[in-house]
Amino acid sequence: MPAAYIGEFEQIVLLAVLRLGDEAYGVPMREEIEKRTGRHVTVGALYATLDRLESKGLLHSWFADPTPQRGGRSKRYFKLLPKGVEALSAAKAMLDRMWHGVRLKRESDG
Amino acid sequence: MGEQPPKLAESLLRWLVGGRDADAVSGDLREAFATRGGGRLWYWGQALSCIAVRMSTHRRMLPGLGMDFQYALRTLRRNPGYAVTAMLCLALAMGVNTTLFSFLDSMYFRKLPVPDAGRMVLIQRGDDEAFYPWRDFASVRDTVRTLEPAAQNTFFDDIAIDRLSQHATVMMVSANYAKVLRIGAGLGRWFSPDGAFSGAAEPVVVISDHLWKTRLHSDPAVLGRRIRTLGRTLTIVGVAPPGFRGTVPPLAVDAWVAADGVLSSASGLMMELIARLSPGATPRSATAEMRVVATRLRAAYAGNPRLQGPVHIEAASGFRVGARGSFLAMLWLISAVSGMVLLIACINVANLLLSRAMVRRREMAVRQSLGASRARLFRATLAEGLVLAAGGVGLGIAAAYWTQFAIEWAMTSLPETYYQGVGLGIDWRVALVAGGVGLASAILFSLPPAFANSRNLQAGLRGEDGPRLSRQREFYSLAQVALSLALLVVTGLMVRALQRVQNIDPKFATDHRLYIELSTTRNGGKPAAEAQLFTGLLERARTLPGVADATLAWQVFPGTGASCASISRQEQPRQMRSNTVEPNYFETMRVPVVRGRGFGMESMPGAPAEVVVNETMARTWWPGEEAIGKRVWLGCEGEHREMAQVAGIARDSKYESLSEDALPFYYLSRRQAMGNGYFNLIVRTAGDPYEWAKPLMSLVRGSPDVTVYEVKSMEHAVASSLWDVKWRAGLLASLGLLAIALAGMGLYGVVAYAVSQRTREIGVRMALGAAPGDVQWMVLAHGLRITGLGILGGLLLSVAAVRLLHGFLYGLSPFDPVAFAAASLAWLIVAMLASWYPARRATRVDPLTALKYE
Repeated sequence: MPAAYIGEFEQIVLLAVLRLGDEAYGVPMREEIEKRTGRHVTVGALYATLDRLESKGLLHSWFADPTPQRGGRSKRYFKLLPKGVEALSAAKAMLDRMWHGVRLKRESDG
Repeated sequence: MGEQPPKLAESLLRWLVGGRDADAVSGDLREAFATRGGGRLWYWGQALSCIAVRMSTHRRMLPGLGMDFQYALRTLRRNPGYAVTAMLCLALAMGVNTTLFSFLDSMYFRKLPVPDAGRMVLIQRGDDEAFYPWRDFASVRDTVRTLEPAAQNTFFDDIAIDRLSQHATVMMVSANYAKVLRIGAGLGRWFSPDGAFSGAAEPVVVISDHLWKTRLHSDPAVLGRRIRTLGRTLTIVGVAPPGFRGTVPPLAVDAWVAADGVLSSASGLMMELIARLSPGATPRSATAEMRVVATRLRAAYAGNPRLQGPVHIEAASGFRVGARGSFLAMLWLISAVSGMVLLIACINVANLLLSRAMVRRREMAVRQSLGASRARLFRATLAEGLVLAAGGVGLGIAAAYWTQFAIEWAMTSLPETYYQGVGLGIDWRVALVAGGVGLASAILFSLPPAFANSRNLQAGLRGEDGPRLSRQREFYSLAQVALSLALLVVTGLMVRALQRVQNIDPKFATDHRLYIELSTTRNGGKPAAEAQLFTGLLERARTLPGVADATLAWQVFPGTGASCASISRQEQPRQMRSNTVEPNYFETMRVPVVRGRGFGMESMPGAPAEVVVNETMARTWWPGEEAIGKRVWLGCEGEHREMAQVAGIARDSKYESLSEDALPFYYLSRRQAMGNGYFNLIVRTAGDPYEWAKPLMSLVRGSPDVTVYEVKSMEHAVASSLWDVKWRAGLLASLGLLAIALAGMGLYGVVAYAVSQRTREIGVRMALGAAPGDVQWMVLAHGLRITGLGILGGLLLSVAAVRLLHGFLYGLSPFDPVAFAAASLAWLIVAMLASWYPARRATRVDPLTALKYE
């Protein structure tokens, strides 16, 4: 079965989950994405993507115990599933194949 | 910790997203809010983005919603009794409201049944149609660019076919009428559109499909036949398409006469204009152009007040502006009443859903503890409500379709052709409103049970909120009793008013009296010949077997002649009502002349004319003086005025309606006054009056110079003068019955449910030796307690509601104790019936089974 196709923002979110490891929950994920891409992300958009990826079986999430500094609210943590890793590497490979042998004009002019 | 995140945004988020997701998201937001050190606006933006995503149709809402609807359908299928009851309740109420709205629609919005009706306009002056002299129509038609106008004028006249006449609505229209409306003919043709009628051309008429079918039995050879109306004999050249009843709703037109054929081109008859906007023209540009025309005409007719004042263009939809007013009071009343019926039906369904909510407490608690959000449970209940409402609307529109037939049938049975042009068809607007009403009521009746379902159900599981929900249901039932009681009071008042009017003595004899309207066909006949014709008919009628007496009167109740009179020649004439009668009228109709004398059989040449006045006129015109011998001047301003002497005083009677107050009135003698070719022949018969209708009819039809109308009895004339009171009482009575039936069902449901909840308690009571009577009384008392409080509330509500009845009560007090008492009593009986069955069931409880029940 070929790996699931994922869009650009989905790749970014999956990568953020990978990069954060054990600390992959809403707040640091948003910070990570905003810091590295310079793009502004709303919580709604982030959770929408996370839910979609979970329903595609690329992610897994669980609720941790509530902590006092969050006003007694629990955190929802995310972890990549093997299918997610597969999809991510397939996406990267696809882009690499497309980039192979391509030189952008502006680069050569510079 | 510094600033707190905005509470409202957080609770919105938690409510709408729901479950543990909401917990995690709001936790994230709290944390981020703390690290970035505040920013309430930012928080709101983030929270709304989450809500928007959750609510977006693509993600969560729709699949969930689909499931909700599937689940709702499955639940309803499993409980068909409950579903059918709820839908029927709604359907009844919606049917009533749909019919009402289709009436409103036809009154205000419905367009004429012609192609591209949106471009049809009327030229108005103030609230009235603008009138133009016929002689100027051709020039207006030829000069105006923005409009394509046709002239029309409406007459209430008779149509005589084969010398049998009937009252009708006849329109005189310009020859281009059908061309402007773009309608074809059902049979034959309309008038030649260029209006090329030579003076010698035979006057022509197009009749309505209705007239063709009812009076001419759909005669295929109708073209070329003659009818008489508007004082002319006209040749039928066409039959209008079926369903086309003219351009003046709510009037239904029976015939269209080509004005070009009957009017000279110099006629000053005032006509109104109906027009089609030319391509590219707007109402605004047409208004501007018509104002120029109006200015020109004003200059030409400086003295004519009917041509003064600015004109404007109005879309030709709904009733005539002038005709709307006469319906408004009644519409207010019916809207209020049918709104109340709908409310009662909604409460019924809310009650049903609430009782289901109580049964399903356990299920809801399980769903909630498995992670269903409150919003989700809320939505599930709403979905159930929507499914019920959809069923209700569907059935309701079907019901309205049938009530519409019933009402249209009832309308054609009305004595007035006036209302037959009311269209009650269901178009998209009506269906849309019905759907909207259904949606609104679904939300209305789903809210209480939805809140009950989405509440914290820990208490529900332990059965703690059972009593609270029961109380809520009792309250709804109480409200239903109150609302329907108010309706019953209104109905009762109407019925009492009808009774009161019916019992009014008309003060003239009605039994054994038949009358038949006659008019001469001799155009411009000599008065003497005309009088002789009627006298001859009168004398021949007297010789008929079974006829005890006969007389002639110009008008028969409820018609009167409009005239004017004054005490002196200088005084301004007052508007008066009068009648012209044969001298023996007072005896035949048993309207005694109380003082002085009646009319003599022969008039003395040169003697002054005589009048007989009624008691009210004698008393109010010559207070404290003897009226007999006094002089009055007859005739309106500008007319020929004639002096007459009071010969006698006749007892007061009713002239125009049974409910009228005493009215000054005078009689003229037929032997002295000029006739106008029209009289009613009244006969007093020995036995059953209708037995003599046939010989009377053949007698008058034997005379070649008269057209005749139907034979009617005086009793019928009096009874049918009450048609509007009867109609109103009948309509309200049917709505009142519907309301009490719905509310009775509601009460039954509440009491029956209470019994089923108390099965265990009842079992214990019975086991401990309670008599069946005691248990029965306990249940009955429960129903009666609710009813008692409801009646109290209903009486208060009625006191406020009877204000709407102003003008419908004919002198009956709006606080008529009989109506109030009867309504309360009726409800007590309904309450007994509604509680009786559950009470009986309660005594059948077997204590052993009841104790094992839980």
